[in-house]
Amino acid sequence: MTTWEPEDEVAEDLSALRVYDASPERVEQTRARCVAVLTARREAEQARAGRAAPWRAWLEPALVLGLGAVYLAEAVTRALAVYR
Amino acid sequence: MDREIELRLVVRLKAGDPAAFEAIYEAYRPRLFGFLVRLSRRRDVAEDLLEETWLRLVTRCATLADDARLGPWLFTVGRNLYFSWRRSRAVDESRTSELDPAWPAPERGASPFEAAARSELERRVEAALARLPLRDRELLLLVGVEGLTPSEAAGVCGVPAVTLRARLHRAREKLAAEMDADRAVVRARAG
Repeated sequence: MTTWEPEDEVAEDLSALRVYDASPERVEQTRARCVAVLTARREAEQARAGRAAPWRAWLEPALVLGLGAVYLAEAVTRALAVYR
Repeated sequence: MDREIELRLVVRLKAGDPAAFEAIYEAYRPRLFGFLVRLSRRRDVAEDLLEETWLRLVTRCATLADDARLGPWLFTVGRNLYFSWRRSRAVDESRTSELDPAWPAPERGASPFEAAARSELERRVEAALARLPLRDRELLLLVGVEGLTPSEAAGVCGVPAVTLRARLHRAREKLAAEMDADRAVVRARAG
């Protein structure tokens, strides 16, 4: 037999085994360490995002204003050229 | 765990959501601990390996595939850590300590008779499992106790599925022989 058949005796014997767990202290210690790792990672990512934000805050409007000014100047130049 | 829920938890865990970790931790911790403690036959070692496995999950969760299967992933890491521990300590299987004699602990909610009968069967199954070679024991634990499919167990053990099925077949036969011998002893004592 190569497949697991739940009705057989070996499966029945194994189903008698109970579920164990680590000691409550260890469960809590592991949980706390893992949550601390996740929290630290999240905070580091937020800090990275925060550091990037001021740079983007002035660059994006400046870029939009600059391109807008170039477009407007070109439009005015061409309009004046029509009337010359 | 429902596959849809598992997929959502993986995505949230990758984003660093502690609540997703909590849900995964509650769902898989006892199963993983049971596997490790029956593999190592030492509670202190199993607790260390358990903690290290979960730390690996949270430090590497960003690299998980979106469709990762958490059970096989955790069992693979736990098993690999156990074999690393064995290699680092040069542990001889025949010299590892036996199961904690306080196990199984009395079952809460069961009548004294039910608890005693169940404890007796459990004790015999635990002892029979502990007598098996490690390679057989891990397969029975993964497939027979933890409910992994043979394909998933093959992935955990790093062997082809065909090889695993053949090894599982032999492991089942060995456990059945151990239990038959044990039952014969019990009958002889009773008779």
